[in-house]
Amino acid sequence: MTATYRPVEPIWCAGCGHFGVEAALAGALADLVIPKHETLVLAGIGCSGTIQNNLGAYGYHALHGRVLPTAAGAWEANPDLTVIAAGGDGDGYAIGMGHLIHTFRRNPSFTYIVMNNGIYGLTKGQNSPTRQGTATIDAILLGLSVLETTFIARGFTRAPDQLRRLTTAALTHAREGRGFAFLEVLSPCVTYNDTYPVWEAEQLDLDADDGYDPTDRSAAFTRVVDLQSQNRIPIGLIYRDPAAESRSFVNPAASSIEPASHVESYMDVMSRYRI
Amino acid sequence: MTAVLSDVNAMVAGQGGDGSLTVITLLGNVLARRGFHLYSTRNVASRIKGGPAAALLRGSSEPRSGMGDDVDIFVAFDDEAIETVGSRVAPGGFVVYDSSAGPLPSGFLPEETTVIEIPFGRFAVRDLRRELFKNSLAFGVISRILSFADAEAAAVLEERFAARPELVARNLQALREGFAFADEHGFAENAGPIRLTDTPSEDRILISGNHAAAFGFLVAGVRFFAGYPITPATEVLEFMTRHIGTYGGAAIQAEDELAAVNMALGASLTGVRSLVATSGPGISLMQEGIGHAGAAELPLVVIDAQRSGPSTGMPTKSEQSDIGMLVHGGNGDFPRIVLAPGDPSQAFDLAVAATNLAQWIQGPVYLMLDQALSQDSVTVPLFDVTGVEIDAGLRLTQRQLDTLDEYRRYAITEDGLSPLAVPGMPGGMSLVTGNEHDEWGRVSTDPGNRAAMMDKRARKIDAVKDDLPKGLRFGDETGPVGILGVGMESGVMREAVERLAVDGISLAGLQPRTIWPVLDETLAFIASRERVYVVEHNHEGQLAQILASIGEANGSVRSILKYDGVPFTPGELIDRIVLEEST
Repeated sequence: MTATYRPVEPIWCAGCGHFGVEAALAGALADLVIPKHETLVLAGIGCSGTIQNNLGAYGYHALHGRVLPTAAGAWEANPDLTVIAAGGDGDGYAIGMGHLIHTFRRNPSFTYIVMNNGIYGLTKGQNSPTRQGTATIDAILLGLSVLETTFIARGFTRAPDQLRRLTTAALTHAREGRGFAFLEVLSPCVTYNDTYPVWEAEQLDLDADDGYDPTDRSAAFTRVVDLQSQNRIPIGLIYRDPAAESRSFVNPAASSIEPASHVESYMDVMSRYRI
Repeated sequence: MTAVLSDVNAMVAGQGGDGSLTVITLLGNVLARRGFHLYSTRNVASRIKGGPAAALLRGSSEPRSGMGDDVDIFVAFDDEAIETVGSRVAPGGFVVYDSSAGPLPSGFLPEETTVIEIPFGRFAVRDLRRELFKNSLAFGVISRILSFADAEAAAVLEERFAARPELVARNLQALREGFAFADEHGFAENAGPIRLTDTPSEDRILISGNHAAAFGFLVAGVRFFAGYPITPATEVLEFMTRHIGTYGGAAIQAEDELAAVNMALGASLTGVRSLVATSGPGISLMQEGIGHAGAAELPLVVIDAQRSGPSTGMPTKSEQSDIGMLVHGGNGDFPRIVLAPGDPSQAFDLAVAATNLAQWIQGPVYLMLDQALSQDSVTVPLFDVTGVEIDAGLRLTQRQLDTLDEYRRYAITEDGLSPLAVPGMPGGMSLVTGNEHDEWGRVSTDPGNRAAMMDKRARKIDAVKDDLPKGLRFGDETGPVGILGVGMESGVMREAVERLAVDGISLAGLQPRTIWPVLDETLAFIASRERVYVVEHNHEGQLAQILASIGEANGSVRSILKYDGVPFTPGELIDRIVLEEST
């Protein structure tokens, strides 16, 4: 077997939530027995944008804010890969926010994990669009407002078993061709914005609520809005479209590009221009 | 008296939606059947409907990549057409004027012009109940002026409306009314004031630069396209959306150009040949992504259909003012190639070359077009699709990868080229990043590694230098005065040089097809001449500046510039050269 790069040690501070995200992702990939060479992890810019270095799979470091279109292109070009986009809240909800809504709309079958810590950690502590106590954005409500959305979940690194379960569910949803799997993880930055205590107090586990139906979009929307007004943060499986069917996709990476195999067809195209 | 022409220029103008293009298309079909080469262009405002619009056609026994100096036949559907473009009529030319809305405005046409005034629009409404039939009426008149046989004109009209048989009869009736008007003016069948020379007929296609390039990329194996609508590049998006699926590829209309270029990077990462197409404003937005292709070493081809800038500029007007951005744009130093075709045939060939070169250098390759080249249609011989070779560069097969003890994505090699494994291949796992990195793709700021990686990437251009498309020479090879230009200047330069030679002024011509890196042959062409006129459509002489700064500073580079959005005519370029030569 050909030897490749040795995975890098995480750059994160001791206690960083991102360790929990990486553990959940590595665990889910192992649980689903996905070979490393069929796994492509793309990450944005920021502390979270180093997760791809640590897993031993194919890794890609996208431009700031552009992890979603990059992952979309990779998945469109080879949907047989398990494509996982990852990044922070600054990357995904500030500079890259425009792409998120269009990714919900297009519903490509890959997974996106946002490590939300409310802060720009790598540049040492500027506010992000999810900073507690400021005017914030809730990407889960955004996703619920798009009719094509098929999977939305939120995990918390303080609930590692649930996080691994949600990660596995997200990967499974995307790998089965059911559509875009969006997983936001509350992943505190212990150095610049230690939200462990406040998020522990505010989190509310919908998985533990027997009365909650994650297949009912309007109920989910109402519930999340209600909780928001009570300063509570829902975690768990928020929404899964029960009608999202398993689809298969054309694989451009496997297409034939030898002109000899298409000569007749190419000549047909050209003959439309004959005069 | 009958003039015998081997080169005829026609123009039809009116309001957008008048159907000017229909008359030009019908005329083009007759000329093509007679073996004439065609060049076809439009002059429109950036709006959906209405506003002054003109369609122009040149038919010539020699292939020409541009319009002639003036117009022999002008069909004007209203007074505004006469006022805005009447001055383009040749001395002794023919104007067919639709007088439905009023008499011919005076003072806008050359004095020797023959004007035929007919209220086409009114007759079309009166006799055929629809104004649009005025086009067939007008076509009848100009068919007689050009001494076509009536059956010849009828045949192309029938062919044109073959898909809509309900329209054929009334269009033929309109055509016959046109013949009747021509009779009244003394233009009998086969006996008009203009006759065309006999030209041997060949199998040709009539295609624009955008369509030729898009088709070239398809044949070269491009199976992923991402774009965002923008004039004058949108036809590439439309072509790819229509055709790429047939070959198992994907075309995406992205939410913006940032998304488009990054989607293409993602697709390229998986080994699929990927293309984006845009114009100047979109190229500006894509700069970060294109630099990323350079740093992360991802094959990427970018079409730039240039339009006049800066900023939003004039979207429908041609310019070559992105040259500096293509050559030097983006943060940091990274290797890139800029190719510039001069006509649709070259656009097809260079699309293939660009795709293969991108695989070799694992980096960005631009195909530089301009609005005129992108959107004007020209007759060219059929493309040689069977002659296209797919070159995978250093892409590893699984078998080759398996024989390696270890795989380094960014292996530092003598020629800078690193063997490439893509996701899905066992043993090829790698880290791809635009951060500086070591051979494994791990982020590194080590000074020695940094310098080695910069040098490695730069060497890739030297490795492919012999494969870069060479320039095309014309005129007097040995002449001490040279002329050089790219894209939309290519055809008009050749024609100007031919005509100047007749007058005893000889020029050596070069149309470089590789703008960046600047080829040694280009520098030698300049260095060995007393003067070289660099013809380009921009205000700053961007190409001239690059050539002067790279080559020996012998002061021989002179600029001939135009930036009014309108291509040079041969006569205009000749005047500019003669003026320069006489001062």
